[in-house]
Amino acid sequence: MSDNHNNTSPTEASDAPTTHFGFKQVEKNQKASLVANVFDSVAAKYDVMNDLMSMGVHRLWKRFAIDCSGVRAGQKVLDIAGGTGDLTAKFSRLVGPTGNVTLADINLSMLKVGRDKLRDRGLVSNIDYVQADAEALPFPDNHFDVVTMAFGLRNVTEKQNALNSIYRVLKPGGRLLVLEFSKPTSEQLSKLYDTYSFHILPKMGQLVANDAESYQYLAESIRMHPDQETLKGMFETAGFDQCDYQNLTGGIVALHRGYKF
Amino acid sequence: MPTSALVSAVIETAANKILALDPDSVARMASLKGARLIAYVDPLPFAVVLVFSEQVDVLALHEPFQDTVATLNHKDCCIKTSLDTLPELKHINQLTRLIQQNKLQVEGELAVAQQVSGLFQQLDIDVEELLAAKTNDVVAHQAMSWFSAVKRKATGALSEFNKVASNALIEEKQIAAPKLAVLHFSDEVNALRDDAARLDARLLQLEQKSI
Repeated sequence: MSDNHNNTSPTEASDAPTTHFGFKQVEKNQKASLVANVFDSVAAKYDVMNDLMSMGVHRLWKRFAIDCSGVRAGQKVLDIAGGTGDLTAKFSRLVGPTGNVTLADINLSMLKVGRDKLRDRGLVSNIDYVQADAEALPFPDNHFDVVTMAFGLRNVTEKQNALNSIYRVLKPGGRLLVLEFSKPTSEQLSKLYDTYSFHILPKMGQLVANDAESYQYLAESIRMHPDQETLKGMFETAGFDQCDYQNLTGGIVALHRGYKF
Repeated sequence: MPTSALVSAVIETAANKILALDPDSVARMASLKGARLIAYVDPLPFAVVLVFSEQVDVLALHEPFQDTVATLNHKDCCIKTSLDTLPELKHINQLTRLIQQNKLQVEGELAVAQQVSGLFQQLDIDVEELLAAKTNDVVAHQAMSWFSAVKRKATGALSEFNKVASNALIEEKQIAAPKLAVLHFSDEVNALRDDAARLDARLLQLEQKSI
């Protein structure tokens, strides 16, 4: 959920295609490494900052996503951008010894923190760890029953490519759940949220992680992420059926769901 | 904030904390590994799912009862009941009666529900031992002795108060009826009901004869 970056250098007058990195424009081929720097930097403090920033509510958002996943014993689950393994830990117990959970993340630092955390909890037998780019998932077609992505999609350079890739690896009948920051539904909440994001959050980042700039980027990247309806449209473009979303905490976060039939 | 997630989080935390207080619960839970108990409790707007592994995971399920029943496997049990009936489920020998009265609907493996009920009923928590681990044996023993004495005195005082209140209401103020009078009144009501039923039957007979 938290983001960070070190010494980002926006491109200056270049013909190369660009994309956003927070409110800055950077060359598309730079974004992945910039995001990688972000997560290399925050990996160690990731869980603490998540709890602080959301006042623990991120645990309820993730729990709600798991409730909606319908995961059963024996199923195969892919947790993309799984970070420090919050969802994977629960999925591992739900699928049991006959099932399997793959924790995928593009960032090795995050993957290592997640792996250590899960192993410390005794979760070893049915979890695979894969360093993978969501835009080009290294898995066979029609392989997973459920794919989840919590607070990861907004950091992907080409979000549509990621959704297409997920659609390919899902089994027919499988479902995708994307939990991501979104647009608050009320104007007053939106103003309050802006104040919190742009004024309090960076100070909190400075105080705890000694990195205010990173948390400024977090607020910016959330504002640049597609709103609820746009993301739903992207699901449909990728081929998903019965797409819907549910706003959580007044739309600060939304859970999008789509099925592959 | 998703309320269902909050409710399931509270249940999960409480259940695991309570089970952790009894070391024997690990062995009792072994037979439940991989089992699911799904409970639709009216008026909760969602079902609560208990999934057993090394611990209990609690999920909120937002699907109708019939859809859930259609997907049960051999280690799943799905029950539908109400909040009022829930305390009665402690008595496993009452299950048949509750089912006959339509107060309880059970689908899937009934043994799972019975084992879950047993898991919590057989909890044997040694509070003094737990307290001793946090403080020391003497403090724990003194605290428990003090607590037992207070409990004994409180129970005695409550019983005494009940007697005094009962005397005052029945004998002195005569606001409530004595137990014997209530029983006598009940008998008289029963006798009157029987008489009325007999008279009704007699009238019916007479009506049929006159026709």
